[in-house]
Amino acid sequence: MRSRLFAVAVAALALGAVAATAAASGQRHQANKLTVWLQVDAQSGWPDVVAAASKEFEADHPGANVDVQYQNWGDHLQKFDATLAGGNTPDVIEMGNTEMTKYMAAGAFADLTSFRSSFANSRSWLKGLAASGRYGGKVYGVPYYAGSRVVTYRTDLFKKARINRLPRSVAQFTADARTLARANRATKGFSPVYTAGTDWYFAMSFVYDYGGTIARTRGGKWTGTLNSKQSLAGLTAFKRFFLAASRASKTSDENHPAPYDVYSQGGAGAIIGPAWFSCCVGNKYKADTAQFVMPSHVTGKSMPGFLGGSDLAVPVTASSKSLAADWIKDFTSTAAERSLQAKGNIPNATNLLGSSVNERAAVRSWFVPTAKHWVDVENSNVLRTMLAQILTGKASVRKAATSASRTITSVLNGS
Amino acid sequence: MRRAGWNVVGVILFAVMVFPVFWMISTAFKPDDQINSENPTWISGSPTLHHFGDAIHTPFFWNDVKNSLIVVTITVAIAMVLAFVAAVALAKYRFTGRKAFIVLMIGIQMLPGAGLIIPLFVALSRVHQVDKLSGLIITYLTFALPFSVWTLRGFILGIPRDLEEAAMVDGSTRLGAFVRILLPLVAPGLVATSIFAFITSWNEYIFARILLSDQSKQTLTLWLSFFLGTSRHTDWGALMAGSTLTAIPVVIFFLLVQRRIAFGLTAGAVRG
Amino acid sequence: MAIAAGAVPRRRRRLTWRRALRGSVPYWLILPVAAALAAILGYPIYSLFRLSLQHYTLFELIRHEGQWVGLHNFGSVLHDAVFWHTVARTVVFTIANVGMTMVLGTLVALLLVRVSAWARILVTAGLVLVWAMPQVVAVQVWYWMTNYQNGVVNYVLTELRLGDFFHHDWYATTFSQLGLVTALIVWGALPFVAITVYAALSQVPAELVEAAEIDGARPSRVFRDITVPILRPVLLILTSLSILWDFGVFTQPYLLIGQAHIHPGNYLMGVYLFEEGYLHSDYGRGAAISLLMLLMVAAMSVVYVRRMVKIGDVE
Repeated sequence: MRSRLFAVAVAALALGAVAATAAASGQRHQANKLTVWLQVDAQSGWPDVVAAASKEFEADHPGANVDVQYQNWGDHLQKFDATLAGGNTPDVIEMGNTEMTKYMAAGAFADLTSFRSSFANSRSWLKGLAASGRYGGKVYGVPYYAGSRVVTYRTDLFKKARINRLPRSVAQFTADARTLARANRATKGFSPVYTAGTDWYFAMSFVYDYGGTIARTRGGKWTGTLNSKQSLAGLTAFKRFFLAASRASKTSDENHPAPYDVYSQGGAGAIIGPAWFSCCVGNKYKADTAQFVMPSHVTGKSMPGFLGGSDLAVPVTASSKSLAADWIKDFTSTAAERSLQAKGNIPNATNLLGSSVNERAAVRSWFVPTAKHWVDVENSNVLRTMLAQILTGKASVRKAATSASRTITSVLNGS
Repeated sequence: MRRAGWNVVGVILFAVMVFPVFWMISTAFKPDDQINSENPTWISGSPTLHHFGDAIHTPFFWNDVKNSLIVVTITVAIAMVLAFVAAVALAKYRFTGRKAFIVLMIGIQMLPGAGLIIPLFVALSRVHQVDKLSGLIITYLTFALPFSVWTLRGFILGIPRDLEEAAMVDGSTRLGAFVRILLPLVAPGLVATSIFAFITSWNEYIFARILLSDQSKQTLTLWLSFFLGTSRHTDWGALMAGSTLTAIPVVIFFLLVQRRIAFGLTAGAVRG
Repeated sequence: MAIAAGAVPRRRRRLTWRRALRGSVPYWLILPVAAALAAILGYPIYSLFRLSLQHYTLFELIRHEGQWVGLHNFGSVLHDAVFWHTVARTVVFTIANVGMTMVLGTLVALLLVRVSAWARILVTAGLVLVWAMPQVVAVQVWYWMTNYQNGVVNYVLTELRLGDFFHHDWYATTFSQLGLVTALIVWGALPFVAITVYAALSQVPAELVEAAEIDGARPSRVFRDITVPILRPVLLILTSLSILWDFGVFTQPYLLIGQAHIHPGNYLMGVYLFEEGYLHSDYGRGAAISLLMLLMVAAMSVVYVRRMVKIGDVE
């Protein structure tokens, strides 16, 4: 019947169209256009540094045009994956330092080892950041900037409670917390030191402070080590500190609510988090806010802080590796890093470090295991679940840590 | 129950349903320190317009408004025309493959969207439709069409037979009669379906995010997402102000079309 | 129509041509939709089937080439205990959500019929405002209302002396978490159901209803014999759509429970697909899970779909 033939013809046409376009080549990069993906933090925090770098690049390469596109942390990797599959990858991409290993292991980035000496201060790159950009002995990521964790506190509340010296050990800090609690009994739900129950960045600092680790690798095989003697000591110390100092929910994370929101409402004597928290403590207490480095359990030392930060990488599909590397060189020049430092960030090299609280806290730092499946451990909330169990008392420290270690071992060794 | 009693129920229902929306709008006017206060501030005593100012003055705001309007109105217009015509075919004609096509309309909707993101990006990339509004329109159409066909067919099937037959005129083609008679009777269904297509496309996020890169081509949902995208302090006031602004076109669209969902509009049709 | 006596063969051919043309009308009518869907979704759907049979992770994605592993992905998913627990949890969740959405939505539609014009505009405007809220923003507002530190819900419940809800953690247990997600989803889905059912109700001829009432029929009888047959296609559509939307829902649970609280104990299928397939960048596995979800949703809604297809046949 004609109608049936007609229907078949339609289907054939459609399939033919798809097949024909499938044979066409993907989009080709324009020879003189450079696409850069940076996070929105740069757009709101230091757009002038970005503009300066692009201007310098365009001056060195007449006819070249830099297109900076700002991404969200929440879905920039999904978008990156789509472009890796279909084309239109950027020429330079900002990656969080914990995101790097997975992509380096998959071969997503171009080898920048030969360009290393052209990047400013590359001989003294911050160890932690540089390690996140290295895989198999090659350099794939250029350190961009870092951030550490500090204690942001209410100078007026400390003074009122007659705490005249900043604590130099965890034990002293705990005693100060109890003093603050007594002095602020009238404020319902007041936390002397507000820190979320499942803030694993803070909790793991205790583990590393006692000499423990999250996981260790030997001969290519990973083993979770949260149940080692030192790690257990660290976790127990964390539990002790939390129960004495924080009235935060034992199961919530460090973004819900944001600690600075609790602080701005007068609900905390101190908060633990990135140094930039000081931006958002609210008008009421801005004048009475200062920061100090979290002390270790050993008097006089600082507790190792998690070194967060970003690297810049060049996807392997970029049209010109050298052009991309050149832009990165301009964006991480000494002048650019000084600008970033002036805005409260930690610059990427030790010879540039100043003495702000943020930078002093970075002297002793720890980083997550550089395993290609580490992001899977983070995404499945193994550490958060463990901390919630420990703090609510649902499981003993040993039991929770052992179960978490087992999970970490199997995830990190997955294919 | 008397009408007044029902009216009271209606008002209570309104208050309960709308509370989160009220909270969003009220927050848009609150100064920063009242947004996260320990004791909730119902309506700010010192309302401020500066969040709206912050929102509107972000770069590309008006550009994104224009892009969203273009994408959504074209999607809805094309979807309604094509879907109505296809729904008429599926409801009023018998032909081979009819049942398969009906099942296909609901079957396509059963595919989880997450699985289609990357293959769709690859497919569009091959025909150079990535980072173009036309590519986004095509994508939205593929979601709007199955849903609209499926729903409109149901509305057409629901029209009582005698209404149709009473209005049939001799001599005209079957198709012409269908369109002339069915269109006004299905109007409420078209309105409900078009509102759905409008809102779904207006608020769609993930495909717009993956397909569009150029800042001048983005839609309002992407614009909104940048308030949430940083790893640092979120400007809640501006986000709520921005959300309130993005809801306005939807409400306008609804007010324009809502009169067609009239109760008892078939009053005159059956006679004679 | 007058026909020339000696032109019988030509007349038959002309009638055949016209009949064929008339017979091809429905095909022309569905052609635009069919062509658009085939052109855009053809490759992605084919790709989904192909990926499910391949080992395809980030490594393979970059090289644009996967390894064929046959049904291994399906086997791995079907042997995963988490998969089956998630299926069971999602089925219960779907039944609860669809049930509440349809019942409450229909009740609201019936209410809209009975109120005065001003109240009707008020309620529908409210419904559209709810409908128009972007999902991400709606989740954020719901989170603010229910959060541990300063949520309005805790405040109001304490003020109403219903107990001490100060610093009550609504996200502490899985049941509580999923209960909140259910409330959020039903709240967000109500407008569409209510307005669509109300639109369908407006197709019920007023004279039929009046005539029946004059004859002495009670409201429930009128509802059953006149209203429901007209509403039936629309109710079937809404139910089938609600099933497939609620079964695969992702945004609300993921954002409301929060990325930090998601763990296998509170997975729903949409979240499971995202976590196991896409966060882990195992696209082959993700495709297999997508196809299994498709099968399950089809199984859950087959009754409604079959009835929808049959309704047209009675004509």
